Amino acid sequence: MIVGEQKPIMEILQMVSPHKKLLILGCGTCVKTCFAGGEDEVTTLASVLRLALKTKDIFVQIEELTVERQCEDAFIAEAADAVSRNEAVLSLACGAGVQAVARRFPRSLVLPGVNTTFLGVLERRGLFTEECSGCGDCQLAVFGGICPVTRCAKKLLNGPCGGSRNGKCEVNADTDCAWHLIIERLSAQGRLNQLRAYVPPKQWQASLSGGPRKLIREDHVI
Amino acid sequence: MKKSHKLSIFFCTRTFESEAVFLPKAPNSLEVRGVSMACSSMVKDIFLLKAFEAGADAVTVWVCPEGKCRHVEGNLRARKRVERVKALLEAIGFNGRRLTFFNLIPGDLASASDILEGIVATFNIIDGGPSKVSGCCFPGNAALKIQSPFGSNHSIQTDFR
Amino acid sequence: MKTEPISNLERVLSEGRFAVTAECGPPRGANAEVIRKKGALLKEVVDAVNVTDNQTAIVRMSSISSCAHLLALGIEPVMQMVTRDRNRIALQSDILGAYSLGIQNILCLSGDHQRFGSQPDSLNVFDIDSMNLVRTVYTMREEGTDMSGHLLDGSPRMYIGAAANPFADPFEYRVIRLAKKIDAGADFIQTQCVYNLERFRQWMSMASGEGLTEKVHILAGVTPIKSAGMARYMAKNVAGMDVPESIIRRMSQVPKEKAAEEGIAICLETVAALQEIPGVHGIHIMAIEWEEQVKIIVERAGLLPRP
Repeated sequence: MIVGEQKPIMEILQMVSPHKKLLILGCGTCVKTCFAGGEDEVTTLASVLRLALKTKDIFVQIEELTVERQCEDAFIAEAADAVSRNEAVLSLACGAGVQAVARRFPRSLVLPGVNTTFLGVLERRGLFTEECSGCGDCQLAVFGGICPVTRCAKKLLNGPCGGSRNGKCEVNADTDCAWHLIIERLSAQGRLNQLRAYVPPKQWQASLSGGPRKLIREDHVI
Repeated sequence: MKKSHKLSIFFCTRTFESEAVFLPKAPNSLEVRGVSMACSSMVKDIFLLKAFEAGADAVTVWVCPEGKCRHVEGNLRARKRVERVKALLEAIGFNGRRLTFFNLIPGDLASASDILEGIVATFNIIDGGPSKVSGCCFPGNAALKIQSPFGSNHSIQTDFR
Repeated sequence: MKTEPISNLERVLSEGRFAVTAECGPPRGANAEVIRKKGALLKEVVDAVNVTDNQTAIVRMSSISSCAHLLALGIEPVMQMVTRDRNRIALQSDILGAYSLGIQNILCLSGDHQRFGSQPDSLNVFDIDSMNLVRTVYTMREEGTDMSGHLLDGSPRMYIGAAANPFADPFEYRVIRLAKKIDAGADFIQTQCVYNLERFRQWMSMASGEGLTEKVHILAGVTPIKSAGMARYMAKNVAGMDVPESIIRRMSQVPKEKAAEEGIAICLETVAALQEIPGVHGIHIMAIEWEEQVKIIVERAGLLPRP
């Protein structure tokens, strides 16, 4: 899922307080799972904003609405009426959703309420971890199912570096050294020799450096 | 005597069966509204915030002692949520002391009484007067129904108007 | 195809002699005098001098330019190059430029992460890793082509080094890693500084067991300890460093004025022990900001004059 965190309340307050009628638009998919922007978070945020603005004697009328996903037109369309009757929209979707909404309603003011951070998983209750960088050329088979592009701070393909300490990364003692994990995983599978092979430089063309990427499925285009 | 402060008490029914048990212990200056829950885990962020929106000067959450929750983790969850709401309130300029959390031995009226006295004393420290949001007119519903996952229905009045 | 030794360092090693290299760090500014002074302390004391590349991610005068300053003094440099700050285009470009200036040794590294350096907000590169860099320089030398396969107008024929840490890798992986570096094209290895001789001997015997010491020249790192505080700091804070309790105790037990002397004594004992280990073909002395000690150590170890 896409993981994000709701922006600090003061930052949100600064963005929304000039407007008299605000729509807080939640998203029921990724951001709901990481407790950043689902229906519950919309309700809580609305309440906090009302309390905050009241102490400053500012009155903002807040409408609350959550759609299934903000990355698909069919669901965004459901918000059309609500968007039109408010001065500004605070979208709690990931960056992609915010942009999709802004694109659909180009004359409306659409503001981001969430800082989108990474592609990750729910590792255990309350813990989300980054797993994938979207490099476009997945080589997880080479590395025992652990991605060094994402999880090694130096993106080493022929790691480890000399900086790991007790299996933890040089950069952060709370982060496992990805290469330590790769070696452990492959050792346990009796495949450590797989790492004997030299891994050539990554081909970054499939990745972010070339501007925004597109995927076209011709078989779905009529 | 005119009540000078409004207090919402969210309590687990294992600590006290109903508000009738501890209301007599409330100091005269406090207008107290109790909200009973089958388990303190039913305390959601939004209920605490709505209580403040509806005019409470302070909110307190009473739960079972650690390790004694009959639903195992309920009181731990409650504490985490209270901590989170406290941080949010402080971020927007509220005094965090307005929201408190206590582990209570079931039926411990003496402690309940102490806590209530303590809350009154806190108001003197905070501002000596009712909070700005009390008695305000927020449109929208301030009465919430909580569906207990364990069967019974509770209706919560958080409206002080 | 290389036949004649390229650099002085290669000559010393290929003649089967015990090599000595040292390290010097460029200044945090444009003052070339700093490099010249350090160079002067090391001239004719060692076979080649490593110049660090923005070590610990702190901005310093570049390695390539500092190497050029050393060359002007008649000192042979080893240009350290990290992959943290430059992409493959810039790295290859700098290799070509370095060789054109007369730099003939290179040490290929990944580099310390920028998080703890002087510019923690910078975006790191790591387009390729140190292993890829070794292979790149090797290909440039042996095949005369760059990474795109383009035939170079003048190929840089450098003597290629890589780093190894006998104390860091998971145990079962150490030999694989060294073998990989040799396959990629490393001619020599400089290790992390050695204090735990027992563990170092273990690593060396694993390496010779696999025949690796026949294929690459290993130079063991040594660093003289200045004080008990330094010993404790290294043991606790520096990743991949193994400082045995016995060393820390020795340093703590001497009075403060005698600490430096004790540190040098430990260093000399280590050097003597290293010379006895089969497969160790030299030492790499890292006396950062204490370069004046290098001559003392080399002299007292009986390694002067240099061949």
